[in-house]
Amino acid sequence: MDTQMESSCSKTRNPFTGAEANAVSVKVDHVCKSFSGVEVLKDISFEVIPGEIFVLMGPSGSGKSVLLRDIVGLDVPTSGTVTIDGQDPSLEATRDRVRVALVFQDGALFNSLSVYDNLALYPREHRSGDEDSISQKVMHALKILSVEDAAYKFPSELSGGMKKRVSIARALVMEPQLLLYDEPTSELDPVMSATISEIIATLKNEYSVTSIVVTHDRALAQTISNRVGIIMGGELITLGTPAELFATKDPRLVDFLNPKIDIKNPRFKKLESTKPS
Amino acid sequence: MNSTQQTARVGLFFLLGVALVWVTFQTLSDGKIFEERSHTLIAGFGDLKQLKTGDEVRLAGVKVGTVKTTRLAGRRAEAVLQVDPKIPIASDATASIVMSGLIGGNYIAIDMGTPGAPPLADGAEIKTLESPDLNTLMSDIGGLGKQLQESLGSFSKTLNGTGKDGGGIIQKLDKLVTENSARVDATMANLQEITSKVNRGEGTLGKLVNDPKLHDELLATVEEIKATATQAKEFVANAQTLMDQVKSGQGPLGTLVYDQKAADDIKASIANIRSVSDKLAKGQGTLGKLINDDSLYNSAQVTIKKVDRTLDGLSDSGPITAVGIVVNALF
Amino acid sequence: MKQLNSIVEGVGSVVQLLFRSASYAGSLPRQWARFIEQCYQIGYTTLPIVAILSFFIGTVLALEAGYAMEGFGAKEFIGSLVGLSMARELGPMMTSVLLAGRVGSAIAAELASMKVYQEIDALTTMNIPAAKILVLPRLAAVLVMMPVLIVIANIVGWFGGSVVARYVSTVGISPESYFAALRHYTKFKDVINGMEKAEVFGFVVVLVCCDIGLNTKGGPREIGAAVTRAVVVSLILILVLDYFVTKILM
Repeated sequence: MDTQMESSCSKTRNPFTGAEANAVSVKVDHVCKSFSGVEVLKDISFEVIPGEIFVLMGPSGSGKSVLLRDIVGLDVPTSGTVTIDGQDPSLEATRDRVRVALVFQDGALFNSLSVYDNLALYPREHRSGDEDSISQKVMHALKILSVEDAAYKFPSELSGGMKKRVSIARALVMEPQLLLYDEPTSELDPVMSATISEIIATLKNEYSVTSIVVTHDRALAQTISNRVGIIMGGELITLGTPAELFATKDPRLVDFLNPKIDIKNPRFKKLESTKPS
Repeated sequence: MNSTQQTARVGLFFLLGVALVWVTFQTLSDGKIFEERSHTLIAGFGDLKQLKTGDEVRLAGVKVGTVKTTRLAGRRAEAVLQVDPKIPIASDATASIVMSGLIGGNYIAIDMGTPGAPPLADGAEIKTLESPDLNTLMSDIGGLGKQLQESLGSFSKTLNGTGKDGGGIIQKLDKLVTENSARVDATMANLQEITSKVNRGEGTLGKLVNDPKLHDELLATVEEIKATATQAKEFVANAQTLMDQVKSGQGPLGTLVYDQKAADDIKASIANIRSVSDKLAKGQGTLGKLINDDSLYNSAQVTIKKVDRTLDGLSDSGPITAVGIVVNALF
Repeated sequence: MKQLNSIVEGVGSVVQLLFRSASYAGSLPRQWARFIEQCYQIGYTTLPIVAILSFFIGTVLALEAGYAMEGFGAKEFIGSLVGLSMARELGPMMTSVLLAGRVGSAIAAELASMKVYQEIDALTTMNIPAAKILVLPRLAAVLVMMPVLIVIANIVGWFGGSVVARYVSTVGISPESYFAALRHYTKFKDVINGMEKAEVFGFVVVLVCCDIGLNTKGGPREIGAAVTRAVVVSLILILVLDYFVTKILM
């Protein structure tokens, strides 16, 4: 209930029009997810308070992306509930009320549309403004991510990093209240990664956009996040501020957050030795 | 490709389609897209056979409309015809269902009616004529052939006779002419004798010549004989025409074949002629009183010659023609 | 039992998709550009193959009719046979089969790849229903384009028949008598009848292919499987529907 109360005092402002709307909270309550008997998520519960940057970290295949799909309402948990501002995200009514944007890991750009049209699709379909204001918004978003040169290219002509940036730009044009990123900085050079981190932080600080970021980027987690959760093997093993987390002595986390490259005693040799011969 | 070009192509393509639909329509439906203002006529039949909606309505073979619908009305079937209002259909025209081919459909045939008959109004009922359909027709043709054969058999029997009732018409005619030629000869002899008597100034001739009233009466009598002879000639001519008609397939064959009246008439006429010539030969009636009048004699002679000639003609052509008719009619 | 279940499930899914798309019908004017693009894909680009196929269907019909009808001296009726078969049955049927092969497969492939590469998911998060922007324009386009394709198929097929009638010595009837017979026995309502059939087929093919495409699950390998399934289901549906639609329209 306290999230609801907080949401009423914290506002998101539209990054382009300045229009204000309530910042939204996310509550993940005992979510379990299994695919044909294999449990991918095991009883995960946490809350994201309005206007915070919540970072989810964890090894590949730990179920972070699956959790993200459940939060955004593309999938439904096997048990447990996800709510956005107290509402079921898989319902169309919720999407009508709350603008939720998801930056997909590989972009999920519309291949049949040019970059410009990819970005313009949302405002056009939802009739927010005339073609001029849409054009302004789109070019502004592309400029922020320095991909304005690619405006009239097609997604197939873009590199992986550019696709990702276009995808983030597309999410910005949606003027979201809740923004979810799936590996926003993978495939990007350090400078662009830093830019992405800055964008996320700016959205939070100036526009109070609630963000959930799934990432492997330690710098991002350390610098801009309010809280970090770590998922391993489908379980949320820890949740806390970045400072707490990076100071932990938990051997699993230490090895995950600060892996040492040991040439003399490589990990794959250890793995081989455990194999029955 | 830019979107304007695409739009143009789609537009062009669509217009092409519309144009082709129009062309198809024009070609297949004679361009009647809107329900044309048309007259409706009701044609009632006992049986519509295979007539169906959309079949043609033809006036004297020219298409003037279509069958709009077919329906039952009480104990009869009705075809509602839709015809061109510009073409008047005579009020005494008759409609019948006609097959347009062995495997083709049917159509409604309307005849012209009589000239000057007022046209039928919209929604009026047209006179109809039941016509046999193919199946009925086929079975009828079979029966007809049999009847025709029987009829022709009896006809030739009438003409040629079976022998037991004194011969047929032809033999009778032959006999008549042959018998009468002797009597005519006798008549001639009598007349010659009378003439010689007149030459000699014998008898009541002087009185006769001086009495114009009697003379006129005699003339009238001769005229009657003449007329009788002409009628006989006409009759024979008619008989000939009838036979010609039968031969050429004209006329109501069945009626002719079945009607014994013609043959009876021929018999009766011949009997009349015989009695007249008998009377002549016997010198009965007013003819005996003619003997001194040359012109009367000549007239009588001419008349008798005509009768003779006519009868000869009949006996010459009769049997041959009759056989010809029978042969021709059968095949 | 499992198969039956999946059939029932498929029918349900298709019907749902139909109603969802229909509920967005009001948005069609605003989707004009998409509608035109689909018209282009479904109508314009399909035309050459439809024309070629129809031409040869017409020629084969005339050839076979000539062979069969010569036996009882009814060669004058070749025109009526070709005319009616093209207009009532083969035009609509073969055009729909081509549509399934050419357009249906493309639709299934496109939507399946959009599903596999998460584009459909992206649309969902953007609150833009796939039924609205992907399915509706295609359904509208096929309804508009099908009659055009059919009339072209008919005319090209009839023309093909006349070419055979004229130039193949075993058939050897004049184009005049060919077209006279065609005109006499083929009514405009037969052409309309064929178009009605084609509309049903085309609509169902597009709807089913959209549904199969949108319901693809798994990786890129599934795109191929979805295309195969879409075409097979479309062809079966065309032939099954053909019977019932013909029966209804009689």
